[in-house]
Amino acid sequence: MSSGSEHLRLSRAVCSLIAGGCFAVSACGAIGQDQPAVSAVAALETSTVQTPVGPVPGPAQPAPEPHNPYRGRRGAMAEGREMFVRFNCSGCHGGRAGGGMGPSLRDVDWIYGRTDLQVFSSIAEGRAHGMPAWGARLTEDQVWKLVTYVESLRTPEEPDAP
Amino acid sequence: MHWRSVITCAAVLLAAGCGRSGMGAGGTEKAAAASVPGGSPEIRLIADVPRGEWRMPAGDPAGLRYSTLDTINTSNVANLHVVTTFSTGVPHGHEGQPLVFDNTMYVVTPFPNNLIAVDLTKTGGAVKWIYEPHPDPRSVGIACCDVVNRGATFADGKIIYNLLDAHTVAVDARTGQEVWRTTVGNINLGETMTGAPLAIGDKVIVGNSGAELGVRGYVAALDVKTGRELWRAFNTGPDADVKIGPRFHPFYEKDRGQDLGTASWRGEQWKLGGSTVWGWLSYDPETNLFFYGTGNPGVWNPDLRPGDNKWSCAIIARDADSGEARWAFQATAHDAWDYDEIMENILVDMPFAGRPRKLLIHPGRTGFVYVMDRESGELLSAETYEPVNWASRYDLKTGTPFENADKRTHFGTVTEGICPSSTGAKDVTPSAFSPRTGLLYIPAHNTCMNYEGIEANYIAGTPYLGADVKMFPGPGGYQGELVAWDVARAQKVWGAKEPVLPVYSGVLATGGDLVFYGTMDGWFKALDARTGAELWKFHTASGIVGNPITYLGPDGKQYLAIYSGIGGWMGAVAFPELSADDPYAALGVVGAMKDIKKYTAPGSTVYVFGF
Repeated sequence: MSSGSEHLRLSRAVCSLIAGGCFAVSACGAIGQDQPAVSAVAALETSTVQTPVGPVPGPAQPAPEPHNPYRGRRGAMAEGREMFVRFNCSGCHGGRAGGGMGPSLRDVDWIYGRTDLQVFSSIAEGRAHGMPAWGARLTEDQVWKLVTYVESLRTPEEPDAP
Repeated sequence: MHWRSVITCAAVLLAAGCGRSGMGAGGTEKAAAASVPGGSPEIRLIADVPRGEWRMPAGDPAGLRYSTLDTINTSNVANLHVVTTFSTGVPHGHEGQPLVFDNTMYVVTPFPNNLIAVDLTKTGGAVKWIYEPHPDPRSVGIACCDVVNRGATFADGKIIYNLLDAHTVAVDARTGQEVWRTTVGNINLGETMTGAPLAIGDKVIVGNSGAELGVRGYVAALDVKTGRELWRAFNTGPDADVKIGPRFHPFYEKDRGQDLGTASWRGEQWKLGGSTVWGWLSYDPETNLFFYGTGNPGVWNPDLRPGDNKWSCAIIARDADSGEARWAFQATAHDAWDYDEIMENILVDMPFAGRPRKLLIHPGRTGFVYVMDRESGELLSAETYEPVNWASRYDLKTGTPFENADKRTHFGTVTEGICPSSTGAKDVTPSAFSPRTGLLYIPAHNTCMNYEGIEANYIAGTPYLGADVKMFPGPGGYQGELVAWDVARAQKVWGAKEPVLPVYSGVLATGGDLVFYGTMDGWFKALDARTGAELWKFHTASGIVGNPITYLGPDGKQYLAIYSGIGGWMGAVAFPELSADDPYAALGVVGAMKDIKKYTAPGSTVYVFGF
């Protein structure tokens, strides 16, 4: 599958929704003489922030994000499981991801969101209470396979189920 | 000879001034009392026990967790009732205990490790001030066993305790202002601190946590006035790092040799060697030695670290001034079960096997009560207090256990039905000793496990385990027990069983012949210290994993205080973020604790009881 960064941008509809309102800094008029040259592009389109965790303000929610390219693929689940152990995820999140030092990934409560992209981001970016930013060490492909394993938990396809 | 040394010791302590721990407890004693009212005449204490205040984690430096207070006693404890409650605001495991002196109660919360000073002269838990250190939240994700804190110590006008992010802080006890904050460990290497410090004279001794992440363990001494680190003694590595020198005299052949802290490891595994110090420190003012136990060796999977793995799972005696090691006893060489030996080491002089001895009493994770001569490091006795099958007994001549080869764990094999589990026949929650009864009161577990050695990859700041573990209750229809152990006779005299949950609290013994402890489903109980009869209990809002204390209030009456807030390694299964359908989760404890959510939910309350 293509690994272009287009997969990680919001759809056009959302971008125009945000840019059309008074959200972009430069569209709201001058703030001061020393105003830095800030991009008028919606912040969520920049390379630093790509995945909404909270709701997007405004009445219309964005079109569905890019999905996990390996969703439902058993081979990817198995590879993801193998990496879950190899990279010590099981040490924090539990032998079958039931929690421990880190929260359970088996349950229905997702602190940072349950969509494919949100789970991907939590793994890649890390989180404030000690979840490492694995995106600095793993490829996009590896992270999607970990996502695939996590999404298989508590389903009949879960590899190495408890 | 004993009495002469007591008088000499008292004179020395008087001359040294009031800075030493053990001085000034209760405000009236000037010399270390060698006995307590009604104490057995054969039992001699080496330091003063609390008589109305509580100034250090165990109440006294020798670790007895005994108070002489007796207005609450077997005849009237049934009338005990709640006097005050207040919330710490943090619904996580409340291990540890408050301090009480100068009519003030000091409470250290779980992460974020706030220090709350409560004015006991007012009703209703009136807060004087709260010190908020704001430790680094990234430390939360590397704390193996909940974000607990085992308490503070008071010295030189300051409340001193450790933060989860591996700093030590000292706070002015009157004003709540930070006096110093010292960086001790590095969270990027997986280091945290959860244990309580011990103040000894002009120093504060601290240790680190993180053996599950391949952290290298140590104890360090900080200057009590400035927090400056004076020395650090590692528990793995060459003798110079471990502060092993010409005055190091282990009793047993197996613990003698040069640079065993590297030689008993393959290659450089000792650098990831665990052997951390997250449990209890105790101190003998007469010899100026302090004692502690070390944690498991780094990487759980034993096949990945051939050798005896010194100095993991060991009890070590060090000089309090220099940190030099004087003796060490490794309880399990080449640990295959995560049998940390960071438990309390209770120091008391009493007869053993027919003659007066200077004892160190250590109820081990392994299920054995180790009774040692604390001068020589000789193992005098090792008897089991709960079901044990990893070993049958110890050879006292060599200090080695007779292991059951079937219960050793290995890479690529599932070893089934090992007792006790990694959480042990007891974990860190401390026992109490009564000089009146001569009994050791042990908060015990009956938990067993299956353990499979799997691959392990060291990635700094992440777990370094290589083990897939699943625990479950042991045989006999109970998983917890408050064991009364006759130290002189090395045997259990009675036990109060808990059917479902381990006893995972600390214990307090009092001059009123009472034993206090809490259960994981929230009961705070008082037993008759002699017979074990349950005389009183009260159901608190959340499970109890902390340590009870007793003290005199401003009105001169006796009170008890206990934290109610489930958590810790085994208690964390009560949290919503842990799932009961993965028995391998939380390093295997979910298997043993899967029903705990029916019995308790998180809490954060300090309870004070009185009449």
